[in-house]
Amino acid sequence: MIFTEAKRYYVERRAVDRMLGTRSDSFEHYFGRLRADVQGEIEQFVNAFTVNETYFYREEHQLVCLTSDLLAARLTVKPRGEPIRIWSVPCSTGEEPYSIAIWLLENWPHVDEYDIEIVGSDIDTDAVALARVGVYGKRALMRLPARLVDKYFEADDGASWRILDDLRQSVRFTAVNLVDRANTRLHGKFDVIFCRNVLIYFDDLARRTAAENLFENLSPGGFICLGHTESMSRVSPLFDVARFADAIVYQRPMR
Amino acid sequence: MADDTPKRVLVIDDATLVRRYYRSALERAGFEVAEALNGVEALEHLLAARFDLLVVDVNMPQMDGLSFLQTLRAKSLPLSSTPALVTSTESAPQRIAAASAAGANFYVVKPLHAEALVQYASLLCGIRHG
Repeated sequence: MIFTEAKRYYVERRAVDRMLGTRSDSFEHYFGRLRADVQGEIEQFVNAFTVNETYFYREEHQLVCLTSDLLAARLTVKPRGEPIRIWSVPCSTGEEPYSIAIWLLENWPHVDEYDIEIVGSDIDTDAVALARVGVYGKRALMRLPARLVDKYFEADDGASWRILDDLRQSVRFTAVNLVDRANTRLHGKFDVIFCRNVLIYFDDLARRTAAENLFENLSPGGFICLGHTESMSRVSPLFDVARFADAIVYQRPMR
Repeated sequence: MADDTPKRVLVIDDATLVRRYYRSALERAGFEVAEALNGVEALEHLLAARFDLLVVDVNMPQMDGLSFLQTLRAKSLPLSSTPALVTSTESAPQRIAAASAAGANFYVVKPLHAEALVQYASLLCGIRHG
């Protein structure tokens, strides 16, 4: 991650949060803890910097594209019987991978015909832990039609909803660092990767490394969806642009 | 449904999303649904409670759908006579014949749409519509 002078306040606030969290009375004291990774402080520090604000059915047009074009394109080239693998990275607290599962159940008539594997990954281990629990507030559910909230969630109390066990079990969650090749490689090859609004936080070098790693995580012909303000062409020449009716996505060439 | 007690369906499929999809469709139509991940788990369910219908996937780990049906059909009545709707991605005639020989009452090729599933389930449970 790269922060310019304009983001100084953002950085300071999080450093102060961690100083308070570790009862450090000076920055030197805290910095010592961080460098020595006392009680896993590096991970805690990273977690404090990640942005975990998202909601169900965000950028719905990409979900439309998934079921109207991307999966069909993958199925024409995949050997029969192989699972369809979809990766949501970063997955934050699980809204995106669960949205994909719900979207497929609601909108893909072939959902019972294929073995579908959805993996959600994030560098923030706290977010991953929350994703596994699957409890959400009103804000996260604001875009999801009430009918679907009733269908796929149990009301915990008036203010939070728990996703059904079947859905929780249909998504696998892992921790991942996108710039660490050894780490991303463990996740295997995917047919479609949703990687929205994370590359914007990286500097040029990290962005290129992440793009190369993501390329390796795609099967030949596989697709990657970025956030709507992001462009892969500016980051890496490895991918082809694929324009569909509902979204512009990037594709690993077939060969 | 004509009868007041809901019909009980056991959905046997290793894919979580598929179980959820079938379950939603059946529950919406008034069925009571339980789930099993494979044949072994299904047999456990059947020893514990009575079901009116089994929806059985063919390809599953541990005990596949057809081995499960053969095992079930060899048990004593009334357990052995529980109707079974077999679902599969395979449409070759010899596959259908194999399922039928194993004890399938009905064979459908996936994808199975929610409305069709409910229609088959109603038929096999002896529910009349209209």
